[in-house]
Parts: sequence; structure tokens; C-alpha cells
Amino acid sequence: MTHTYEKPTINKIDFAMASKYGSPLKTQKIRQHIDGVNLDTLTEQFGSPLFVFSQQTIEEKYHALNTAFTSRYPDVQFSWSYKTNYLNAICKIYHDLGSIAEVVSEFEYQKARALGVEGKDIIFNGPYKPKEDLKIAVQEGAKIHVDNLFELGDLEEIADELGIRIPVAIRINMDTGVYPQWSRFGFNFENGEAFDAIERMYDKGKVYLVGIHSHIGTFMLDANAYRVATMKIMQLKTQVESAFNAQIDYIDLGGGFASKSNLKGVYQSAEVIVPTVDDYAEAITGAIYEFNTSDTLPKLYLETGRHLIDEAGYLLTSVQGWKRFPDGKKGYVLDAGVNLLYTSTWYNFNIELDKRYEGENEPSMLNGPLCMNIDIIEENLMLPALDRGSILSISPVGAYNYTQAMQFIRYKPAVVLIDTKGKPRLIKEVDDLATINYKEV
Amino acid sequence: MQQINELLLDENKMAFHPMMGNSYQLNDVGIEILKYLKEGKKKPEIIEILAERYSISKDALFIDVSDFMSKLKIYGLMV
Repeated sequence: MTHTYEKPTINKIDFAMASKYGSPLKTQKIRQHIDGVNLDTLTEQFGSPLFVFSQQTIEEKYHALNTAFTSRYPDVQFSWSYKTNYLNAICKIYHDLGSIAEVVSEFEYQKARALGVEGKDIIFNGPYKPKEDLKIAVQEGAKIHVDNLFELGDLEEIADELGIRIPVAIRINMDTGVYPQWSRFGFNFENGEAFDAIERMYDKGKVYLVGIHSHIGTFMLDANAYRVATMKIMQLKTQVESAFNAQIDYIDLGGGFASKSNLKGVYQSAEVIVPTVDDYAEAITGAIYEFNTSDTLPKLYLETGRHLIDEAGYLLTSVQGWKRFPDGKKGYVLDAGVNLLYTSTWYNFNIELDKRYEGENEPSMLNGPLCMNIDIIEENLMLPALDRGSILSISPVGAYNYTQAMQFIRYKPAVVLIDTKGKPRLIKEVDDLATINYKEV
Repeated sequence: MQQINELLLDENKMAFHPMMGNSYQLNDVGIEILKYLKEGKKKPEIIEILAERYSISKDALFIDVSDFMSKLKIYGLMV
């Protein structure tokens, strides 16, 4: 008779681990499906590691954010932040939902244009915009958000070259009471730098101001910071309209709304500390109404990226082996590492198992496949004895991870989108040697 | 002296080492291996027994038994 085998375990009992929240030796987080599609099916069909995006989650998050703002304010326009995730299929979903494009480089600009977005529906942000690309954007009617005086000078030259006056927006930075203060982008509000730059625009008369933009930070856990930012933007708007007889058509509050990810070093969970979309919407729209001095309300642009896409993204990775470290910890070797998880530096991911495993948890470390000592996805995690081939799903990883994934040591993996009918579709093939060697001469 | 010989086992798969004052939680296969080690059996012999009893490949058992013995060493129960 064959007996049932379980990997042999012995764990020293640490009585300090028991708490009113239960035993960490038993808890297992399990995910067998994404939008009804079995994880085994996904990795068998498309390989491992594998990025998986849920269109259903993307749409739910978008509609929730859209409702929070449009129910409070009459003129709101969302703009998809390309840098957050510029896979074509993902950008296209946001454009189909009604978002225009927000880009921060010429390559992102070209990507948006190639996807059929008209120049007038592109916000061109960022601290460096090459002059030749700026000129194309101006000619195509893009919304240029000026970051610095050098760029303003370039725009004035372009205005001369084209024989036109160019409508622009200005990016400003400010103290909103949060630390760290993002002061690297745009012109400072409090010290008068922003007003000086605008004055310079009107002195020269080659560009004119139609918008004011700020982006106060990322993963902002204080909705009130947006109220402060909106208040200062509205104050500057009033100041400019009065000083230069100008008409500021729009304000842009950027992005930075948090997702339900867990910041490292933060004790409470994301469910507790992340503001709701209504908190953000109330802070911004409330301040517009309160501080508007014009007969008309400005159009409100938002460039929310992380909040919309982060929770829609998963990375599936398989256990390739494991070993026992001299300190007793179990170290798993996975086929995905920090090459694919850029944000692992700042966030503790939700790591789920593909099934319930027998036996008790023990302190474990998750290492990637890189021959680099720093390739650690999770340094200390209580896990049961996993098998070779066990699939782990890591989330939320929809924001910034694919776009910042490195082609380093291993090929970049395939990407699958599960559509709203629960059908998985390959949207990016796994890289191969030809991808790596492309353009080498 | 192998400290595993000092371990007291109970019916709940718990082991207690009176001198060290430490308690350990094992599973069934862990208890079985511990029993063989106490009997003085060596790793290859234990693997043979387990392979026959559970129909598991010896290569897979080599990894699991080696790991189990590594933990006993880490806990100071074996040298």
C-alpha cells in the first residue's frame, strides 16, 4: 500500500509568534484564477513568468474614478499616463473608455500618435522635451506643459519659426504639506518663480497661457494635499487672469492617487490608509468651487495612472527550486525577479499560492532568477513547503512594472490581457534573441 | 552526542528537548525520519525506505531528506 507523502518538516516553535490575529504558521493566501481563468491554464498556454492584466478591473476602476469626479464637477477629462503602462492594448482600453494621452517623452508621444490619438488630445509633460519633437507637438496642436525656462525659450523660437503664438500650460510645484515636496518639476509657486515665468511669457508675447498643471507626488495618502494644490493653482489662475487679461481654460492636477498596494515601512494595510476616490474628488472639486473667481469653471484634467491600472496587473511566476540557507530560512528560486518588479523596492506585494499546501508555514525568502545577490522579491515570508512548478501570483503590479522591467539576464516575459468576457489574449510575446540583438551593429 | 536522542515526542507531533527547553512541530514524515535517525540509520538507507514506502523518486527524496537534516543541524540537534 502506498502512503501519502508530505515533505518532512520540523519547525522550532516560537511562542511569541502567536497573537490574537491567529497563527502565521497556518495562514495561506490562495489565488487559483484571475477573472475566472485558471492560473495553470495561463502558464501552460503562455509560459512563465507571465504578466496578466484584467480588463474587467481596469474598467471597474476607471468607471469608479470617473463617477467620483463627474458626479461632482461638470467638465472633467482623464488622460492616460503612458509611463505607467504603455502597452498598446492597455493604452487602447483607456482611450476607448474616453481618456486622452499624457506623455513625457517623444517616444511616448509617437506611440500615442501611432495609436491614432490626435495631437490635440495629447498632453506633453516632462522635464526634457527635445526641441524638434516639441515643434512637431506644437504643429499638431498638443497641449504643451512647460517645465523650465530653457524649454520656454525653445517654444518662443518655435513660435518665431512657425509664425504663430503658441498656447501653453505651465507646470508648477508647491508646498502641499506633504513630505517629500516634489520641487524638481516645473516652477515654484510660493517663491514667485511660476508667476515670473508667466510674466516673461506675456512680455515676449510669443506664447500665451491656457492651463496650469501640477503633480504633487506619487502614492499620495493625504487627499487634503490635493485640496491645497488646487487652492494654489486657482489662486495663480486668478492672479494671471487679472494681471494679463488672460483666460485660463484648464487646470491639471496630475496623478499620484494611491493604489491598494502596501508601502514598505507602513504598519497599516492599504485598505486602511489609502483614501477613497471620493476623498480625492471631493478635495479637488471642492477647492475649485471654493476658490474660483471667474465666471466660468476651468476644465479639469487628471493624469491618474497607478490608481487605475495597478490592481489590474498580476505577475505569475513559478518555483524552479529551493535551498536551505545557513540561517535556517528556506530560499525559493523563482523564474521572475527584480528585473520584472521594479517597484519591489518600495512595495510589499500580495503573494498568493496556486492551491492550499499541506504542512505548516516556515520563514522563507523569494529570490528571482538573476545571478545577483540583490534579486529578492520578498525577504521574509511565511510559506508552506512549495513544490517545484508551484505558481505564485504577485500583485498589484499593473503600474510601472512592465514599463520599467529590465531586459537583464533573462528575456522579458509575455503579457496577457483577460478581456471582459474572461477570454485571455496574448498582447505581447516573450522576447527572444532577435529582440535583444535588434539594432546592434 | 546527537541531541536528537534527547528529543521527547508526543502524539501531537510535537517534540521537546528538555535541556535546551525548545519545542518543535513536526509532520508525519518528519517524525518518521527522526525515528530512523535515532535508530542510527544513515541518509541513503532512509531514502531507500521512504522511496519504497511512498513511491517517491529517490532524487526528490534526497532533496527533502537533506533539507530536513540541514534543519536539524541548524537547530543544533545534529552535528
